[in-house]
Amino acid sequence: MADAVMTMEMIQASQVGMKAIGAGLAVGLTGVGTGVAEMGIGAAAVGAIAENKDFFGLGLLFTVIPETIVIFGLVIALLLLF
Amino acid sequence: MAGMKGISAPTIYVCTRMRVRKAKLLPREEYQRMLNMSLPEITRIIEETSYKQEIDELGTTFKGIDLLEVALSWNLAKEYQRILDITPGTLKQFTLAYLRYWDIQNVLTILRGKLHGEKTGKIKEVLVPAGSLDKVVLDRLLAEDGPDRVVDALKGKRLYPVLAREYPAAKESGSFAKMENELYKQFYAEIIGEASGGDSGGRMFLAFIRLDIDVKNILTLFRLRADNIEEDAKEMYILGGTMSAADFALLNTVKDYREFLDMLRSKVRTEPVVELLKGIETERPVHEIASLLVKVQMEQLEKLSRRNPFSIYPILVYLEKKKYEVANLRALARGKESRLPSETIGKYLVM
Repeated sequence: MADAVMTMEMIQASQVGMKAIGAGLAVGLTGVGTGVAEMGIGAAAVGAIAENKDFFGLGLLFTVIPETIVIFGLVIALLLLF
Repeated sequence: MAGMKGISAPTIYVCTRMRVRKAKLLPREEYQRMLNMSLPEITRIIEETSYKQEIDELGTTFKGIDLLEVALSWNLAKEYQRILDITPGTLKQFTLAYLRYWDIQNVLTILRGKLHGEKTGKIKEVLVPAGSLDKVVLDRLLAEDGPDRVVDALKGKRLYPVLAREYPAAKESGSFAKMENELYKQFYAEIIGEASGGDSGGRMFLAFIRLDIDVKNILTLFRLRADNIEEDAKEMYILGGTMSAADFALLNTVKDYREFLDMLRSKVRTEPVVELLKGIETERPVHEIASLLVKVQMEQLEKLSRRNPFSIYPILVYLEKKKYEVANLRALARGKESRLPSETIGKYLVM
């Protein structure tokens, strides 16, 4: 009987652990995705700004658009944890 | 992601810069406007654009149209060097190879000038120090006494073997045409060798060179016809394009213009060039054909650069467009100075 109680506690604990891992993966992988996406846009934006300063605002805006991906990840992580 | 594989951030950075710069070049309408202006007005417009710095710098040493001309070629050379500073890796290697074209032009200009006893300053005005022989080397060459010494001074440089082989004959006959051809042949053979490295960037560069060689060969054929030269055509042929040497020689023997066009159409394998040739029905002056061919080449290059936005193409498009802008402005200024009618000048512009 004692063994069974121990197992229930273990399962509960590991569920929390799994959730934490899932949340970590959600934020981490989307972060990598955002980084890859921003690489090209950022490089192009800096190139355009180097030639013409007027592109600064627009360049910045386009560069941060892939941030939405990591925000989705964050939302999933928060949903998992709370 | 498949198409983006292996494209690094620096490549994207440079290609975007080239695109923005290309957009800043003078548009077609501006040339149309300039055709109706007088020389001082044109000078003022050029001063107001990206050539301001050079005009200010050289303003004390040169005057009038000479100032304009020197400022234009200095600007071109500086621009090319600046581009080399920001291009990374293999792109830089290809750009360097492409710019070696100017070495040939500069060395030939110096040799011609020296042979005709022109003043050093006068020769210097028309040099464009954009290739691997920079300003310092060119100045040293200019300081040499005669053309023979210039050739000797180039010992150890890429051009030397061909120069040493061809120069004595060229000097004797007084015509540099054959030597020039040999130099270009060597130039193309070298860049084809460099571009055949195997990576995808090399293949793209190779496609550009092929197109360039094809256009040059076709133009040579038209020129040979116009001048009625029966010379050995093989001498003028540049290896590496889609047209074979045998076809080239055969085309040169065809007398009838229509027959020549028909045959040329069947021999050329570049689609847009074939389209252009279909549009030519009657005999036209060579300079018109030349500007048509250049136009087709530019269009094709732009198409390729749109298809491969992060490759060597955007850089090449910009280099070429800048070259033509400078050539156009020079033609405009010189034409206006000799009071040519606007329509005549317009025909020589690449727009």
